[in-house]
Amino acid sequence: MGKLERIAARQDRSAGLGPTRRGFLLTAAGSAFLFGFARSAKAAPVFPQAAADLPEAGAFEPTLWCSIAPDGWVNINIIRAEMGQHIGTALARIIADEMEADWDKVRITYVDTDPKWGLMVTGGSWSVWMTWDQFRQAGAAARTVMVAEGAKLLGVAPAACVARNGHVIAGQRSIAYGDIVSRAHPTRSFTPEEMAKLPLKPASERRLIGKQVRALDIPAKTDGTAVYGIDAKLEGMVYARPKLPPTRYGAKVVSVDETEAKKVKGYIRHIVLEDPSGTVPGWVAVLASSYPAAIRATDALKVTWEAGPTAHVSEHDIIEHGRAQIANKEGGSCVFNDDGVDEAFAHAEKVVEHTYTCSSVLHYQLEPLNALARLHEGKWEVHCGNQWQSLFLPVIAKALGVPETDVVMRSYMLGGGFGRRLNGDYAVPAALISKALGGKPVKLIFTRSDDVQYDSIRSPSIQTVRAAMTKDGAFQGWQHHAAAGWPTRVMAAAFMEKGADGKPYDQFAIAGADHWYTVGPMRVRALDNDLADATFRPGWLRSVSSGWTPWAHESFLDEVAHDIGKDPVSLRLSLLISKGRNAGSAPDSVGGASRQAAVLKRLAEKCGYGRTDLPADTGIGIATTFGQERGMPTWTAGAARVRVDRRTGVVTCEKIWLVLDAGTVIDPDGATAQTEGGALWGLSMALFEGTEIENGNVRDRNLDTYTPLRIADVPDMDIEFLPSTEKPMGLGEPGVTTIAPAIGNAIFNAVGVRLRHLPIRPADVLAGLNKAG
Amino acid sequence: MGVGVGVIKRFLAGAAAVGTVAGLGFLYYTWYPALPSVAPPAAGTFTPEQIERGRIVAAEGYCAECHTRTDGTPGPELAGDYRMETPFGAIHSSNITPDVATGIGSWSEAAFKRAMRLGVSREGEHLIPAFPYDHFTKMTDQDLSDLYAFLMTRPAVHLEPRPNELPFPLSLRIMQAGWKLMFFSPGEYKPDPSHDALWNRGAYLAEGNAHCGACHTPRNFMGAEKKSAQYDGAVVDNWIAPPLNEHNPTPTTWTEEELFQYLRFGVAPLHGPAGGPMSPVPHRFLSTVPEEDVRAIAHYYADIDHAAERSKHDPAALALAMEQSRAGLIGPNPDPDAKLYQGACAACHYNAAPAPVLGRPELALNNALWLDEPTNLFQVMLHGLSAEEGQSGVAMPSFYNALSDADMARIAAYLRRTRTTLPPWTDLEKKAAAVRSTVQSVPVNSSH
Amino acid sequence: MITFKLNGRDVSIDVPEDTPLLWALRDDLDLTGTKFGCGVGQCGACTVLVGGRATRSCITPMSSIEGADITTIEGLDPQGQHPVQEAWKDIQVPQCGYCQSGQIMQAVSLLKDYPDPTDEEIDGVMGGSLCRCMTYVRIRKAIKKAAAALRAQTSGKETSHG
Ligand code: FES
Ligand code: FES
Repeated sequence: MGKLERIAARQDRSAGLGPTRRGFLLTAAGSAFLFGFARSAKAAPVFPQAAADLPEAGAFEPTLWCSIAPDGWVNINIIRAEMGQHIGTALARIIADEMEADWDKVRITYVDTDPKWGLMVTGGSWSVWMTWDQFRQAGAAARTVMVAEGAKLLGVAPAACVARNGHVIAGQRSIAYGDIVSRAHPTRSFTPEEMAKLPLKPASERRLIGKQVRALDIPAKTDGTAVYGIDAKLEGMVYARPKLPPTRYGAKVVSVDETEAKKVKGYIRHIVLEDPSGTVPGWVAVLASSYPAAIRATDALKVTWEAGPTAHVSEHDIIEHGRAQIANKEGGSCVFNDDGVDEAFAHAEKVVEHTYTCSSVLHYQLEPLNALARLHEGKWEVHCGNQWQSLFLPVIAKALGVPETDVVMRSYMLGGGFGRRLNGDYAVPAALISKALGGKPVKLIFTRSDDVQYDSIRSPSIQTVRAAMTKDGAFQGWQHHAAAGWPTRVMAAAFMEKGADGKPYDQFAIAGADHWYTVGPMRVRALDNDLADATFRPGWLRSVSSGWTPWAHESFLDEVAHDIGKDPVSLRLSLLISKGRNAGSAPDSVGGASRQAAVLKRLAEKCGYGRTDLPADTGIGIATTFGQERGMPTWTAGAARVRVDRRTGVVTCEKIWLVLDAGTVIDPDGATAQTEGGALWGLSMALFEGTEIENGNVRDRNLDTYTPLRIADVPDMDIEFLPSTEKPMGLGEPGVTTIAPAIGNAIFNAVGVRLRHLPIRPADVLAGLNKAG
Repeated sequence: MGVGVGVIKRFLAGAAAVGTVAGLGFLYYTWYPALPSVAPPAAGTFTPEQIERGRIVAAEGYCAECHTRTDGTPGPELAGDYRMETPFGAIHSSNITPDVATGIGSWSEAAFKRAMRLGVSREGEHLIPAFPYDHFTKMTDQDLSDLYAFLMTRPAVHLEPRPNELPFPLSLRIMQAGWKLMFFSPGEYKPDPSHDALWNRGAYLAEGNAHCGACHTPRNFMGAEKKSAQYDGAVVDNWIAPPLNEHNPTPTTWTEEELFQYLRFGVAPLHGPAGGPMSPVPHRFLSTVPEEDVRAIAHYYADIDHAAERSKHDPAALALAMEQSRAGLIGPNPDPDAKLYQGACAACHYNAAPAPVLGRPELALNNALWLDEPTNLFQVMLHGLSAEEGQSGVAMPSFYNALSDADMARIAAYLRRTRTTLPPWTDLEKKAAAVRSTVQSVPVNSSH
Repeated sequence: MITFKLNGRDVSIDVPEDTPLLWALRDDLDLTGTKFGCGVGQCGACTVLVGGRATRSCITPMSSIEGADITTIEGLDPQGQHPVQEAWKDIQVPQCGYCQSGQIMQAVSLLKDYPDPTDEEIDGVMGGSLCRCMTYVRIRKAIKKAAAALRAQTSGKETSHG
């Protein structure tokens, strides 16, 4: 242990964090001490810890998920990544509420990748939804034992007791959970089957869920003590920076000239990576004693590559490839392929068809990619923030040529995920470099332009929507064809769903198009844009396809409404009927389309849709979706008020309204925060972001030309959750989904210009205005 | 960065032409004898009061700036060897510590004064007019004696400056004589009875010891200051030394108070900080001299630039600048240039009415945006300002790696368009590249 | 050797002069609260105070901070309870938190210049600080709350001093 580590460990002890948790880690707190600011850890510890350290001696652990220590502290194990959703707090609230814990004595632990935790993934807005039942059961298990043992100690029957706020109470007498543990030493544990049978509290008895709470992870994020992957530090580690090949795939290193690099003080060596997992083909890593030296030396190292076949691919090529795929009746996979679609179109009195496109989008999560790897006591350790450890641990093992049991990932806080860190590809090169050094600790950090060049971007997409209609505007059939890169095929093919035709498809490249409107027989076809897949590694990006499929169908519905002279809101309401497959089912989509209709109605009221007193060139547009997936719907309706400057084409979004029904809301403030963030992402991707593939890579590499929304661009926002006691759905992403089409529709309402490409640029608006005369 | 480099560069451009003049046979007029070498003055020769007066004179003439090595391993103060890169080859300044072998230890007071007044070394050689004796000649005998006292009581440093790398015939000292004949008029400053004492004190310092015109007055084709364009501004060290007269283009006037703040503390509230070759002038020198002297210089230049009449327009100009400061920053704006400025610059340069906050230099009021060329704007972007420059203790980062030439061009065009009423600059990207190519020490690049 | 004041202490460190302050803080001085985001001075994640003014440490070379007085997020308040930090906690501003050290340092600097900032002043100054989680609405709110707290503090002081 180095000096700072010893100090840090001492601090941990004094803060009650135990002596060994952070032995391997030199953190900011360590030197904060040196600079005179020994701060006791507040709330829960936020440092990654080895699971072996838990639970504390004498603690009662009824399930894998929580323990109660003799001093009364409840520890809750969190297998989800903390990336801004305060997920640990939300999940802990579920257990704590059900077990009647004292919230002031609850802390959370982010665990490592021991197989006992099961599937470790944080994405798709799934965390609460996936954990809801399990954690309530785990809480019930703990409460059951506390009541049983507490009753014994109080000398009464369990039925005479209630559990409240960390105590078992019988009349005037009560006993604290900690005392029960230290006096009765309960050991009972529960199997999943036993847990499933335990009675759960009714919604009316909930005391923490739905109430205002201070998120446990926040204090450390205001004083510099929160530890992210990029902060991990091990004694003796060296720094590395990647030197990226000209194409994502197929590049080969021809020669390396290190003459200039050698002149950089601190340069150690370069390594041409050999990667059996195929994750980083053609990569060279540059090692140095400091990161600035690694930056310099990487710039100075001259590498000649033979580029892969996609060296000249452009965004236009990819979109045109998708257009051709859509034009071809064969190919792809159908999510819905109802009987009678072709029939309906063949006999339609009128067919409406429009095509919509979206540009590439960068994650630009604020913490650039990084990972620290080493061989320690016979195991390969990878330290980083990651959203889907279960997915990449096997890839790392393959790259290293070792069994999966020899690899462990230690999770840190994520400086933003947004789906980028579902893909753990950045951990592979770190492991490979460490291997080349015989297991020495190596910290690999990507500069921002490295990070962007290696991003798994949101693929550009092209979608065609067609409706078969009667003369008087009734829907007879519907088709939605979407071509884009398929992240799930590229990274997790086993997770792909099977279509109506039995062929696998990437649900994250079509979800959203399988909407809840009753519009006659439907064909929803997903096409894998293989040119996109070959050029870059498509990624899951916040709200994945639901970030762009509604751009097509919600713009399209407005176009149809205007075409047939109907009000866009009433048209939608007339199509949202809880019947057939749109009736919904328990427990996830109880109520079906009627709940979507309810949020839309409320939204229309709130935003005053259809009002005629708006200033010139100002318009309100609406859109509605069901969040992420049919199987986990967060009913969402969004409206935007925009003003269009006819001279410059600049569109200003003045206000956003959102109404959501996400079932039970666990943490209202957190839910609002996620929705605010989501809505602004939606706005950012509609008006401010977007890049293009140029010569096989993304064109914009940093903020000088890539321009995400900033504080001055933020409109007024009005967000409302409809009250519900149904099962909680996700909230990480639904805020995104309706914004772009609401803006597109609002622009049309303001100045009569219809835009079918995202992002919306002033030049496109001007062109539209000119065309309209 | 030093005040002297550009001076010599500009001089040498003209010196090439001097060859012909020198060949015409004026040698007769230009011959000076060597003066006898003397023993360095013994300890106690000068009173502490005189030495202190001499320190002030040295500070007001910035001697240490050009007579101290800064490249490679920085050298001892006043021991010379300051390297000036010129298009003709490098020159190294002389050692002016009292070392007998390599400095001016063997120079008598008379020899020293002759050098200051006539630009001739003790040995009788003509000095290169990078040494601005055309200004020092205006100094009083008393000031020169005090300066001599100060220099001769500095620690003697044995340091032989590196030899100059001038090609023949510029390397011949005699070549400088013809120039002198044509452009040099020796003589002490004569007070102007139509002005008061403060003005005359300022003029004496500015025209003489402080040698402001050496940088701020354009030179003719032979490298001599153009009398007809005094203080019209000029290019120095790849920076523009802005006009000090009424041609100064900033929207608010350089009033006596603005000048005083700038010269004394390195930052003028309505104009911004001193940067580039000007940076050492306030911090290293003028902050260490009697306040009245700085005040006098400010008073003098406020007259030169007609501040009294021109400042009538300042309130309106200030209000306009405050309005312009917000351009592109308030309310949503997808303009990529505005976004770039917002991301890179506005956090420090945004200002709200009624006036800029100290330490938030208002670009709408700054010389850099209003000069004919974007040179200074690019220089500051590329170098930033260290904590020792401009406003003391505050630093501006270096955008050398953060902004490409194209990015710099976009920002320059955007600012010129939104924060001035002047015609756009041209060829910005090329000019950005040109200025970039002059940057000597390049910081580590965190970005690519 | 470069000497400066860091969070109230004199520090001398031997790093190449062209090293960006950011990396010296993070890697040599182990103050990792200051974050690396863009490396080009346009996201604000690396913001520290130099002479009390918000400065992007990623593009500030060590050579330019000789003798300067630097405050990082760790040194803002000994207990992490600066009024801006308190407001940040009350309003629950941080999401992933990665930008927040920079946001807080920028806000501290803003409030020195504009003790009672309008929305426009907040936007004008905070526009350089990117929050990818888009916590902007709360940043605005928290700044106003902190401003009120700071003003109360100052007026309290003035009263107590007579
Ligand atoms: S990392 Fe310094 S401003 Fe982005
Ligand atoms: S809180 Fe995540 S970037 Fe701001």
